[in-house]
Amino acid sequence: MRYIIGIGNYRMADDSIGLRIVEHIVQSGLDKGFEAVGIADEGMRLLSYLENETERIVLIDAVGLGLAAGEYRLFAPSDVRTTKMAQGLTTHEGDALKVLELARNLGYPIPPLTILGIQPGDLGPGMELSPALQERFHTYLEIALEEVQRD
Amino acid sequence: MRQNVSINVHHLTRVEGHGNIVVDVKNGKIEKMQWQVPEAPRFFEAMIRGRHYSEVARITSRICGICAIGHTLASVKATENALGIVVTPQTVKLRTIIKHAENCDSHLLHIYFLVAPDLFGAPSVFPLVPTHTEVVVRALRMKRFAHEWGSLLAGRTTHPTRVIPGGLSEYPTEAELKNLKKRLIDLQPDLDATVKTVLSVADKVPSFERQTEYMALSSDKEYAVYDGVIQTVMPDGKKQRWPVADYKSCTNEYVVPQSTAKYTKNKMASYMAGALARFNNNYDLLHPEAKKLAETLKFKPLCFNPYMNSVAQLVEVVHGVKDSIRLLDEVLGAGYKPEDLVKPKKFGRGQGAVEVPRGILFHEYGYDDKGMCTGGNCIIPTNQNHGNIQLDLEALVPKLLAAEKDEKAIELGLEMLVRAYDPCISCSTHYLKVEFKR
Repeated sequence: MRYIIGIGNYRMADDSIGLRIVEHIVQSGLDKGFEAVGIADEGMRLLSYLENETERIVLIDAVGLGLAAGEYRLFAPSDVRTTKMAQGLTTHEGDALKVLELARNLGYPIPPLTILGIQPGDLGPGMELSPALQERFHTYLEIALEEVQRD
Repeated sequence: MRQNVSINVHHLTRVEGHGNIVVDVKNGKIEKMQWQVPEAPRFFEAMIRGRHYSEVARITSRICGICAIGHTLASVKATENALGIVVTPQTVKLRTIIKHAENCDSHLLHIYFLVAPDLFGAPSVFPLVPTHTEVVVRALRMKRFAHEWGSLLAGRTTHPTRVIPGGLSEYPTEAELKNLKKRLIDLQPDLDATVKTVLSVADKVPSFERQTEYMALSSDKEYAVYDGVIQTVMPDGKKQRWPVADYKSCTNEYVVPQSTAKYTKNKMASYMAGALARFNNNYDLLHPEAKKLAETLKFKPLCFNPYMNSVAQLVEVVHGVKDSIRLLDEVLGAGYKPEDLVKPKKFGRGQGAVEVPRGILFHEYGYDDKGMCTGGNCIIPTNQNHGNIQLDLEALVPKLLAAEKDEKAIELGLEMLVRAYDPCISCSTHYLKVEFKR
């Protein structure tokens, strides 16, 4: 099985980008040959998809990349190091890299995994994406759909 | 007694969201002792105005990514109440099983990942991976099961899709329900191991008591999580009940300068909601296996130690598993089949309440004659607990000072107290912050 997984907080503006892309995929019936899953702010649910049978995961998340709002990068977890100071695994502190570190330490199988990281413009309370992310929404969507089908 | 203490825990760790603890003691006098909640208002009540009744729970389930099932259930129940919908007994039982799944899922996260590090003397779960591998693996296995348990019935546990006004939009097959029952029965070794783990650190649970009022849903028929009336139990054991429709008269929201979140109170200066409040109100209706566990732990009502909230959560995990097996037997034994949605009979105003992991949750909505929402109100349990947390901290600090604890020990004691309430302040963002390796 292949997965596009969205992580984020629906109420915190651009933090919800992954969830909104996943919702769009499901509502438009674009989830053919893969499953689109929103795990919201419970990053530990990512562990449920780390299985031997998993062929590929594309994780979509807001990522502080030091770029202009709306810009994005595709990268593997091994390409980066986290600069977050938090040590824990709550929904507040935890992030996908922490969850993957936990999974690795516990011997979970780590399938090919790409992160589509999108630089947020607004992480404050709000139920809408900032204009910079709204404008590129379909670009992110196309990249995610292409990446999840990659061999 | 220590004369000068200055503690400023900015963004307390291992709770969900932002909360600060500030303590300032000068020359033995407590000059400042505050539990601060600086989250921004979220205006969900405004967002639902003008929306059709079929959309409202979809929106309000976004209030919380952890308690999305609870918000959906409270929302749908309030809407059904406003629309004169009475769902079938099968729907009530299936929704109760969904509620148990969410409470167990959240309790397991809290016990294993947020509280256990304190009891094992670790800053987070990560240092426990090499030293307590089996415990961490078990925790993840149980948590994954709880997630699958809820997803089977609710469609998904994060912002569930199948719970809608009038019933359920889709149903699992009979074979899937039978398999769920088998998996719940097969969970017993993990439950036993969890109890052993908790017993091994039970002496690390701080002993601190402060008498307060406890509020929970209550029912004469069962340990209420999905349905019931509002009940409080006072320190002398006296209980009082209110219909859910009167929730405002016993929550009495008010504002305080140190917090953007609203506080609540009833008969006393504050009350507690959550697992300990349910345990104190409804102990007699726990499943016998859950009661047995409480007895093993020498844990009985009325318990005034807020740190025991985490232990009450463990008791509720056992109850939730056993009660779900009972409910599945009843559903399967009564000729389980998918049912049509119950249609609205009127449009008006309605209230709904359920017990989410952190306590009693209220939703209320009004609808016009076209079924469009005219307004709503949500009172979440974490906010109901802020006043009690503040008064607990005020009572605890002098004891810790008198015990000549150093500043770090005082800080840890206060942090553990707040964590025991499992607050879910819900303004957290989840984004990654990275730099590329050269």
